[in-house]
Amino acid sequence: MPASPILEMRGVGKRFGGLQALQDVSFEVRRGEILGLIGPNGAGKTTLFSTLVGLHRADAGAILLEGRNLVGLKPHRIARLGLTKTFQNVALFMDTDVLDNVVIGALLHHPLPEARVRALACLERVGLANIAHKRAGDLSFPERARVEVARALSTEPKMLLLDEVMAALNAVEMAEMMDLIRALRADGLTVIVVEHHMKAIMALCDRIVALSFGRLLAVGLPDEIVRHPDVVTAYLGRAYAE
Amino acid sequence: MALIQAILDGVMIGGVYAVISIGLTLVFGVMGIVNFAQAEFLMLGMFIAWFAWAKLGLDPLVGAFLAFALVFLLGLAVQHWLVRRVMRAPEVAQIFLTVGLLIVLENAALLAFGSDFRSVSTPYQTAALRLGPLFVSVPYLAAFAMSALSGLGLWWFLRVSWFGRAMRATAQDPMAARLSGIDVDRMRRLAFGLGVGLSAFGGAVILPYLTVYPTVGSQFVVLMFTVVVLGGLGSVAGAVVGGLAVGVIQSLSGLVFPIQLQNLVLFVVFIAVLAVRPEGLLGKAR
Amino acid sequence: MPVAAIAAALIVPLGLDGDGYAIRVIALVFLFAALGQSWNIVGGLANQISLGHAAFFGIGAYTSTRLLIDFGLSPWFGMLAGGVLGGAAAALISLPTMRLRGHYFALATLAFGEVMRVVANAWTGLTGGPVGISVPYSAPGLWMLSFKGTLPFYYLNLTALVGVTAVFVGIRRSAFGYRLQAVREDANAAEVVGVDTARIKIQAAVISGALTAMLGTLYAQMNFFFDPDAVFGAAPISVRIALIAIVGGIGTAAGPILGAILIVSLEEIANVLLSGQVAGLSNLVYGLILIAVIMIQPHGLVALGPVFRRPWRVPAVDAAK
Repeated sequence: MPASPILEMRGVGKRFGGLQALQDVSFEVRRGEILGLIGPNGAGKTTLFSTLVGLHRADAGAILLEGRNLVGLKPHRIARLGLTKTFQNVALFMDTDVLDNVVIGALLHHPLPEARVRALACLERVGLANIAHKRAGDLSFPERARVEVARALSTEPKMLLLDEVMAALNAVEMAEMMDLIRALRADGLTVIVVEHHMKAIMALCDRIVALSFGRLLAVGLPDEIVRHPDVVTAYLGRAYAE
Repeated sequence: MALIQAILDGVMIGGVYAVISIGLTLVFGVMGIVNFAQAEFLMLGMFIAWFAWAKLGLDPLVGAFLAFALVFLLGLAVQHWLVRRVMRAPEVAQIFLTVGLLIVLENAALLAFGSDFRSVSTPYQTAALRLGPLFVSVPYLAAFAMSALSGLGLWWFLRVSWFGRAMRATAQDPMAARLSGIDVDRMRRLAFGLGVGLSAFGGAVILPYLTVYPTVGSQFVVLMFTVVVLGGLGSVAGAVVGGLAVGVIQSLSGLVFPIQLQNLVLFVVFIAVLAVRPEGLLGKAR
Repeated sequence: MPVAAIAAALIVPLGLDGDGYAIRVIALVFLFAALGQSWNIVGGLANQISLGHAAFFGIGAYTSTRLLIDFGLSPWFGMLAGGVLGGAAAALISLPTMRLRGHYFALATLAFGEVMRVVANAWTGLTGGPVGISVPYSAPGLWMLSFKGTLPFYYLNLTALVGVTAVFVGIRRSAFGYRLQAVREDANAAEVVGVDTARIKIQAAVISGALTAMLGTLYAQMNFFFDPDAVFGAAPISVRIALIAIVGGIGTAAGPILGAILIVSLEEIANVLLSGQVAGLSNLVYGLILIAVIMIQPHGLVALGPVFRRPWRVPAVDAAK
């Protein structure tokens, strides 16, 4: 895969009080790939996502998006540069309708009337155009996950971080979501996914980054990661035993 | 030398500020509610002490105990009948409940006692001790000593007694406290009663050098908020440090600014702390 | 529906004594509804419960009155100047407080209002202090906002209410309104999809503060006389404005109007029935009713407002995250 890195993490660290949530994390994300991020609970996956989009400020290292350092930028600036994420605990605006939830992202690059058109297109992309006017609070869980994806898409990102969008989905829904993610990649998007479901990760991702206790364990192709001794002891051993 | 004198005065009044503000922080710590009517309980304490002095001939420093006891009981009732019922309500209901309480207490006092300014006269009113080149006003010293006493009492209560430990457990995790057999509602009543009782106590001990009137509470609102925000909302130890700090800041600013602007100085401190360290100067960064 | 309401409001005075008590009360309802609507921009759309709006109101009242006294300047200019100052004060105070939520924000804004009141009481050279200040007499006319009767203020306040409501509705439907509501629902989620939450909050505060200050000018002209406690007071202004918006239905355009009708009439009834007797009684009743309402309907004063159907999202009590 010849593509140049769209994102580079160089020695990124983040500390909360006494807890070193991330330490010296370095890896690259290639343009147009689907990268999986795995690790046991508390490994720092969510912290890493939050740090990437600027909700946390890295206190060591650099994060380069197309060569530009993101450390210290506010999330809305990072979104403007083309990097955004979905939320693990779905953070939709429950009282407004689905379309309004997506319009807010489209407003980043378009004035209001056009933003609505854009938002509708994004809903269509994730297969939800038919429920655009439903109240977000009334949606089923799989629908909410898709609305989250649509909202993130509406900001027209170059790179999208998906935080457990497949949690609580059944096998069919999961397969559909994976198809969607692949389709987004085919559109030119670079995607990082955090997911607990190992089979989905293995099937979906081009490469995988494994974290444990805030440190980078390994980076590699799915089969390499599965066989990596450190990863096996830290994570997979347990998961496979189940 | 004026500087040292001002710091000394500041510490003296700051001790009282700590005690009157502890209630605010205690209630917030245990229940997550800001009692906007806290200063009105201080006003009640001042009135109780004044009547104890006028009708019973009790020195306000003695009347303070009566003020504490009566307002403590009132606090239990307020918690049981009013505050408890909004514990799960939206924040806006919590805010407006105590705001409503503020309006009620202030106007009830106005109705009951009229808008007169009342003060007491004590034999030690104008007395001062000489410490080399420094003076310590006796009413200030007495108020400080009484505050220190009540602060120690509270410390003992929270640290040593079973009630105190149960109360702290409630503050940390009401659900876990309930599971381990603590009567959470009772702990909250106790916290509210103690909180407003201490403010009343503080109000009584400052009566020898201040006057009381129904809206006197509004003089203390900004001050109390500043104390607790300095120390970290919810932290009792913080309120002590915050109280002393506010006393000294006020006293020092009195050297430079006219007395009316001292509230402004406090407010600037208050806002600066909220902006830079909303968890308080002593608080843990989150 | 709005058109019918405005038409009715235009016609009503024809049947009433132009200088009578009823006209004055309705004019007050309009003024406070407009204030509630200004508050609604911050309190309703961004869910920041401000208890310090009296600060802006007072700034507006004193700015125009001062300019009128010292320079004979038309209150229209005073209103503009007050609006600018009120907006500036709002920007200043929202810089340190915008990260705060819930109780903390209420605390900080209440303290701000109180400090303004204390300073206004102390700065007698500017404000006249506790003695109060009189708006100088000018020949009646629209240019000097000076009239013999109350009826002109009835129409002026009505116009102000319609204007502020139009601003509120315009904001709510605009991109700015979308962003504000996104901030209210989940500030982090809004940031991540590109909303500059800090800027949005400051802009809302400035608009709200400026409008509130401009309404302060109307109040000053209508009352001829006021003192710091009347315009900077927490209970008579800050709490009242917030309450009006909340009772009627926070975040809705009709809310402050319904709230003002309810609260102002309630106060007037309490005043008429009780005030002649002893000082404090009507306020006491006011406070008791407030507590009673919360006890009966703790899950939203708002549930009283018929237009309101939004279940409250309760933000966690945390200072800044």
